Amino acid sequence: MSANPPKPPAAPAPPPAPAGPPKDTFTVVFDGQPIEVPKHLNLIEAAKLAGIDIPHFCFHPRLSVVGQCRMCLVEIEGVPKIQAACTTPLKDGLSVKTTTDKVKTGRAATMEFLLINHPLDCPICDQAGECTLQDNSFGYGNQLSQFDETKRQYPGFDRTLLGPHVIADMTRCIQCTRCIRFCHEIAGTSELTFLDRGGRTLVWTHDGKPLANDWSGCAADVCPVGALTTREFRFRKRVWYLNKTRSVCPGCNVGCNTSIETKEEIVYRFLPRLNPAVNDYWLCDHGRFLAESLNLRDVHKATIRTGTSVQDAHVPAAIERIAQEIRRTVEQTGPSGLFFLGSAHLSNEENFLLRKIADHLACPNRDVVVDKSRTRKIKSQKEWVEGDEAAPNFRGAKEMGLAPGRGGYGLDAVLSGKAAPECVLIADAGFGTAGDDADKVALLRRARFVATAARTANALTRAADVVLPAASLAEKEGTFTNVQDRVQKFERAFLPRPPVRAHWDLLLMLAIALGWGDRNWTPADLLKQIAAEVEGYGDVREEELEGGTLLKKGDFAWAGQP
Amino acid sequence: MSHTRYRVEDAGEPRVFPPEAMARIQKILSRYPTKQAALLPVLWVAQETWGWISREAAEEVARILDLPASHVDGVLTFYTMYNLRPVGRHLLQVCTSISCHLAGAEGLIEQCRARLGIGLEETTRDGKFSLVEVECIAGCDRAPSMMVNDTYHEPMDETKLGELLDRLGREA
Amino acid sequence: MEPVLTRRVGKPNSRAIDGYVADGGYAALRKVLGGWTPEQTTEEVKKSGLRGRGGAGFPTGVKWGFVPKDTKGKPVYLLCNADESEPGTFKDRLLMEDDPHQLIEGMVISSYALKCRTAYIYIRGEFYLGARVLEKAVEEAYAEGFLGENILGSGYSLDITVHRGAGAYICGEETGLIESLEGKRGQPRIKPPFPAVSGVFNAPTIVNNVETLCCVPHIINRGAEWFAKIGRNEKNTGPKLYCISGHVNRPGVYEAAMGLQLKDLIFGDAYARGMTGGKKIKAVIPGGASANMLTAPEIEDCPLDFDGVAAKGSMLGSAAIIVMNEDTCIVDAARNLSKFFSHESCGQCTPCREGTPWLYKVLDRIEEGEGRVEDVDLLARICNQMANGMTICVFSDAAIAPPLSSVTKFRDEYMHHVQKKTCLVGRKALVTA
Repeated sequence: MSANPPKPPAAPAPPPAPAGPPKDTFTVVFDGQPIEVPKHLNLIEAAKLAGIDIPHFCFHPRLSVVGQCRMCLVEIEGVPKIQAACTTPLKDGLSVKTTTDKVKTGRAATMEFLLINHPLDCPICDQAGECTLQDNSFGYGNQLSQFDETKRQYPGFDRTLLGPHVIADMTRCIQCTRCIRFCHEIAGTSELTFLDRGGRTLVWTHDGKPLANDWSGCAADVCPVGALTTREFRFRKRVWYLNKTRSVCPGCNVGCNTSIETKEEIVYRFLPRLNPAVNDYWLCDHGRFLAESLNLRDVHKATIRTGTSVQDAHVPAAIERIAQEIRRTVEQTGPSGLFFLGSAHLSNEENFLLRKIADHLACPNRDVVVDKSRTRKIKSQKEWVEGDEAAPNFRGAKEMGLAPGRGGYGLDAVLSGKAAPECVLIADAGFGTAGDDADKVALLRRARFVATAARTANALTRAADVVLPAASLAEKEGTFTNVQDRVQKFERAFLPRPPVRAHWDLLLMLAIALGWGDRNWTPADLLKQIAAEVEGYGDVREEELEGGTLLKKGDFAWAGQP
Repeated sequence: MSHTRYRVEDAGEPRVFPPEAMARIQKILSRYPTKQAALLPVLWVAQETWGWISREAAEEVARILDLPASHVDGVLTFYTMYNLRPVGRHLLQVCTSISCHLAGAEGLIEQCRARLGIGLEETTRDGKFSLVEVECIAGCDRAPSMMVNDTYHEPMDETKLGELLDRLGREA
Repeated sequence: MEPVLTRRVGKPNSRAIDGYVADGGYAALRKVLGGWTPEQTTEEVKKSGLRGRGGAGFPTGVKWGFVPKDTKGKPVYLLCNADESEPGTFKDRLLMEDDPHQLIEGMVISSYALKCRTAYIYIRGEFYLGARVLEKAVEEAYAEGFLGENILGSGYSLDITVHRGAGAYICGEETGLIESLEGKRGQPRIKPPFPAVSGVFNAPTIVNNVETLCCVPHIINRGAEWFAKIGRNEKNTGPKLYCISGHVNRPGVYEAAMGLQLKDLIFGDAYARGMTGGKKIKAVIPGGASANMLTAPEIEDCPLDFDGVAAKGSMLGSAAIIVMNEDTCIVDAARNLSKFFSHESCGQCTPCREGTPWLYKVLDRIEEGEGRVEDVDLLARICNQMANGMTICVFSDAAIAPPLSSVTKFRDEYMHHVQKKTCLVGRKALVTA
């Protein structure tokens, strides 16, 4: 081919086809049906776009392609031998057959080979229910096995803590190397390796050193079988009983998308939920293992303090008490005697409501604070996302307007004694470490009246005049704004058990008691108000709220691993 | 078949390459565009220096070549010629692949076992002999073939093996 | 045929450079560096019809031609595959131990043709002597100006390094070799990309067997036409080293024109001189452990070249002929070979990692008298599930050759084992001493 083709003669030639931009897709034919697919996809991903599931174990969209498990076998037109789909480069006109006898036989053969040495301990294996080996055996295997030899075992490498969170049962390992590749390519810590070779190959660490990187739970996530499971979740619940709810990790301001997995008002675990722009398929151990802490509850009822005695109260009565104290303060000292503290742990909607209450009362004294944490990182599809705050929504809370207004003051002024509010409303008793710091609580307590809402007890709840029982993250819905300024929705896994209510519900009740708001508002209505009023929130798209470009055809399961 | 290569044993003391070994390693490194490519040759230097490759030696090699220790383990356990524990002064390597097998190689192994009182992958108490079975060592025309350390002894038979073991046993 | 590749084998001091030069060595290199272009050199090798001597028999010149014209600034590497590990094969050991400079000269010429400045000899770890001999020869070649900067004043420079393996058959597979050279486990790579495009250190790489490279100086010296005329036909050219072992009177390496009759090799006076003790032949493996077994009738009119053996449903492979007499238990032989493949599987692909030990276990049971009738068909079924694209490399295809060919061709003997629980040859042949 010549580099400079001669120009075609001007007159007789037909008009050249309009030179559009170069095509960024390939036409690939799956079982006779042509489909346009982006050039960068793997064949397995491309097939998914065409609505075709190609079974696989070792392939993972974010890990290097190794072609080892030999499950994703397909036929390629013009190629005599059966091929692994994952290692077949996409090209224009590629014709792939996924349902031929040769393909079925090949996949069944791989299944048989995988199962001959796999223990039949499914009833006591914690992967059961989310085991790719089970699923693919059901979908593509033969029911019979003629293997009558002694199965391979890895004595000394079963029921063993591989790290602080991961338990290994290597006899179940199918040598797919996903965990090795995760630690090497994503975590960058390379703890795991293949040892020995052939049928004796074992995955383990150097010298039995712990698998202890910040994302070690992901090694268990990517494991398609029960070889790696997490200590925290193992044997806690059969996974088919779990309900999955879209949520956002409360661990830091990265805001990894999660699935909260619950049953009967108990949170069992967090799993990462695919969002290529934030956490991709991953979740750090710090966030992941906060899951169980959502089940903690000390504050079951509203309480009202009278002198030294603390009495249980109905929530509406407790709310009315707060409203009374607010009205009294406004009457006696004007709105400058009030102080409102939001929380980086609360949603945009909740912080918005608090700010609207302050606005309604014309009080400029409002604030929100956050504790700094060590830097936490997660690998999005393109880059590392870092956060260094110990709460998920400091950015959102501030953007909702929780900063001292004109002539107002913030928490620092209160704690340093420069300001002396009469009536303090702290929307979330767990707003930061200060809430459990006796000295700081004593400074806050100088106010005549202190009210807060809480799930777990701390110095502040013990000192407050009114404490409202508030819901956990799993018990409410709302949005957080993460370090990248993405507004992300979390959903409610289950209702709080009365009289516990979501913070937004409690704040809305208070607002109404103070003469503002509508009892029918939901967090979704509040988000609309935010979109209308708060700068930067007017153009939040549904995809952003839901977690990127999720749930479109071709994406792998939104929770769990592909 | 039951011998696995999972454990890299502790030497119980630090492993630091002596200067002449370090000089060899520097020379090796100059022959490759990446440090990692020097891994097999440097492991050979380690084995020649200490006779086997301990956990400490693997870690020292990993440090010198800027590799994860797990990677060194992966390589170390893949290749059967790296000794993962101390071996005897005379490493008896008997080939049992097809041509040697046809020539009765298993008999040589039996003879070694009986004579030395050790099994495969074991070392005599006096530290003189270790016995291993190896796959084809390209001595098929002089089968059965065996090696003692780096030297071929072929073709081997019962008498010659007896004499060889006598001679090596007499050596200090 | 007068010996070509082995003409200096057995000569006193055949390893030393002065002897090699005195015998006309490095003349081919002088010829090439004296004015040939790399393309011209490649063309000459192409014309000779030389096919790779490692096992696959791919035309060497064509392979060289796969290196992209524009390597985008990347160097080209030549790797000499001296990982001779195929059971029954011992020709490269001889070439390296007895005439190392022939290989080095072949490598320098080939490197020149490939515009390669860095070459490695990947020699299996067990060849201590071979490695020492080659290292010394490389040193001599540097000293005499046949290696290093500005070779023979031509402006062409080349470095050769001897790189020792450490005990892994799979490193004889060219991408396994590449991985190993890079300091990794020798797990074969996914292809494409092929090494000629992206091989070692992500650069274009050509991997050639020792014997292949040793042919090159002779092609240059005596011409492609001379080379192409040796051999049975134009597709099977040149001199060839045959390794014969097993139950024959005179096992060894024999050089002959490509296409030597298998029966001549076994019975010819110049070759193995017949069966030990005058026994009958039961089976012959014509191309190393990876080749299908042939029965006694099948060795009639079997020219030992790529196409001749392929026509018999087996392969020339590394030209390792293993002869088994009538007293051999075929199940025992298959078991031994399966043990080898089970030991040497790298373990990355499921069918091979799981299939090779399974085959061994079933064969072991049958041989030990614990087989069942259905095991015979089971063996064939396992084999058929391991081949033809089921794995990344062809190791798995090789591993099934002994059990599948033996169970097909010697089914009666298998049936005897599983029905009578004894061995057809009347004793448990050669299992234990």
